[in-house]
Amino acid sequence: MRRILYTALGLAAVGSVGLLLFAWSGLYSVAASRGHWPMVEWVLEFGMENSVETHAPNVTPPRLDDPDLIRLGAGHFLFGCAECHGAPGTEVGLVVRGMLPPPPDLSRRVSAWTDQELFWIVKNGIKYTGMPAWPTLDRDDEVWALIAFLRALPSLDQAAYRALAYGDVPAEPQSGEGVAMSGGASRALGACARCHGAGDRPPLSALVPRLHGQPAEMLVEALRAFAAGERRSGIMEPLAAALSRRAAEEVATYYAGLAPLPPTSTVQAESIGRLAAEGDAAAEIPACISCHDRQALAIYPRLAAQSARYLENRLRVLWYAQPRTPTQSIMVPIARRLSEQQIRDLSAYFAGLPPEQR
Amino acid sequence: MTGLQSMFAPMGPEAALIADLAAVLFVGAAVVLTIVVAALWFAMLGSSAARRGLAAERAVIVGGIVFPIVALAALLAYGLWVMRASVASPAASNAMRIEVTGEQWWWRVAYRDGDGRRIESANEIRIPVGRDVVLTLRSADVIHSFWVPSLAGKVDMIPGRVNTLKIVAKQPGVYRGQCAEYCGGAHALMALEVVALPEAEFASWLAAEGAQATDAAGETERQGRELFLAAGCGACHAIRGTRADGRIGPDLTRVGARRQIAAATLPATRENLARFIVDGQHLKPGNGMPPFRVFSAEELSAVVAYLASLK
Repeated sequence: MRRILYTALGLAAVGSVGLLLFAWSGLYSVAASRGHWPMVEWVLEFGMENSVETHAPNVTPPRLDDPDLIRLGAGHFLFGCAECHGAPGTEVGLVVRGMLPPPPDLSRRVSAWTDQELFWIVKNGIKYTGMPAWPTLDRDDEVWALIAFLRALPSLDQAAYRALAYGDVPAEPQSGEGVAMSGGASRALGACARCHGAGDRPPLSALVPRLHGQPAEMLVEALRAFAAGERRSGIMEPLAAALSRRAAEEVATYYAGLAPLPPTSTVQAESIGRLAAEGDAAAEIPACISCHDRQALAIYPRLAAQSARYLENRLRVLWYAQPRTPTQSIMVPIARRLSEQQIRDLSAYFAGLPPEQR
Repeated sequence: MTGLQSMFAPMGPEAALIADLAAVLFVGAAVVLTIVVAALWFAMLGSSAARRGLAAERAVIVGGIVFPIVALAALLAYGLWVMRASVASPAASNAMRIEVTGEQWWWRVAYRDGDGRRIESANEIRIPVGRDVVLTLRSADVIHSFWVPSLAGKVDMIPGRVNTLKIVAKQPGVYRGQCAEYCGGAHALMALEVVALPEAEFASWLAAEGAQATDAAGETERQGRELFLAAGCGACHAIRGTRADGRIGPDLTRVGARRQIAAATLPATRENLARFIVDGQHLKPGNGMPPFRVFSAEELSAVVAYLASLK
């Protein structure tokens, strides 16, 4: 009995040393061009699939057929995913086809996973494959938007995808000179207007904030906070980080100069209007309009005629946020004093407020 | 003995009674201790006659039962008399009434002027010397305890209850007080000052306190006022005469005239005001005011200049 044990231990030791020597010798080729042995490939896939299945969280997804969620996900898919995974009408890119493993065409593969498994993959990424994690782990709401889009993806043709992801922004430059100077469709990737709208066009999803007529100072500060990683968003952080200070100021000035959009709802509850205008001293909730009307500091956002769904989501995100920016430090403790009902009612109230009123 | 916050330096009748009670207790306890130590000494080293006497049944009955009953009963009677004298004595007809509400972690103070109009202030109670002052003590959240040792004993502030405390200051001066019941994180930083003023001086002070805020004098102060309002400070703080009418935090109508800020935590200098606006959570962790890091250095000093001008 003891002899068997010693033999096994000895074999294990020799094996470990042998593996180390093999790695040290450099004989193993890490070339992506060579592919894996079928056996290795099978083990890796088997391990990956089981790992995802085990780690996927046991949570109830939001409604994934929600059009606003799908459109928000589409906007981000174009920027963050299509480059490697392709999109309806666009094959998986030639450069990335050389990756090992090559990124799969998602419209064919997503049906193999449950919503929770897809969520876990998109949020955390996958080791040894080149699949990155979501830029921040604090924004599950954004990850779910992408999952909603992935569920819609298999049924989309090129035109439907373009309409979702680009909105009205021209997908490709019209002239030869445009192609020559900007390199084709990629110039529209980072366009704010794809998601936020522009001119008199509203954002492509009710979950995306309306920037029209917001103070330029607030917009510049938001872009600074996103770029610095102080304000968390897997969608906005990479985009803001790619903007120069000057470009951020220019685009902020552009949106600040736009005429505010008209209100989206007509809900005007008397009691919630009082909470917004006077606050609730007993619950230590200050009046919203003290900081969010037109006379307030330009670093504070204006809320009149903002999208109700965006406001709700923003307040919930602030509820859980670790305050990092000057304005979050003020708003996070206040957001935490609001009930879920108050969050919904206040958001609907401000969405219904004509912008010229406040 | 003297001291800003000492029960050994009584400056009012109730505090004097309590100081006397303390003196009687200390002296009495010293006498008892001396007797006990002497008895112990005799029990171990005394003559055999002394030891026999200590071991007798009579010694146990007198020293162990009769003496404690008589001494403690006398103390109880004395203690009840002290309580009755301070709690049940009626206030004079010209008594000043002041409402004090304990909140985490500061004191909301409200006076009534001649017409019964409520004048709100915070963390500093001004009273006329020699006149009875009846404090109405409430709590807005948890149990606090109001204790200004030089003027009176402590009285709890209990949610849902109204307690009263009568104080009289014998002479002008500043008497410091402290919350005496643990009330959460910044309990130790919940202090206050009672400032006793001669009658005439108090009357003119109260008239000024009840007036609208002084108008911003200079350009800097005016800029500070606009920033104060635009930054939303008025959602929590009131400054009478402006559109700032918040009721969540302390009324700032006369903040420039106060001796201390943050519930007698820091002297009311401009530097401390600025620090509290930007970094109040480090000076007094957990307090209700979020840090306002939205101002540039010039803007901050303008806001502070405006607050300091509110006298």
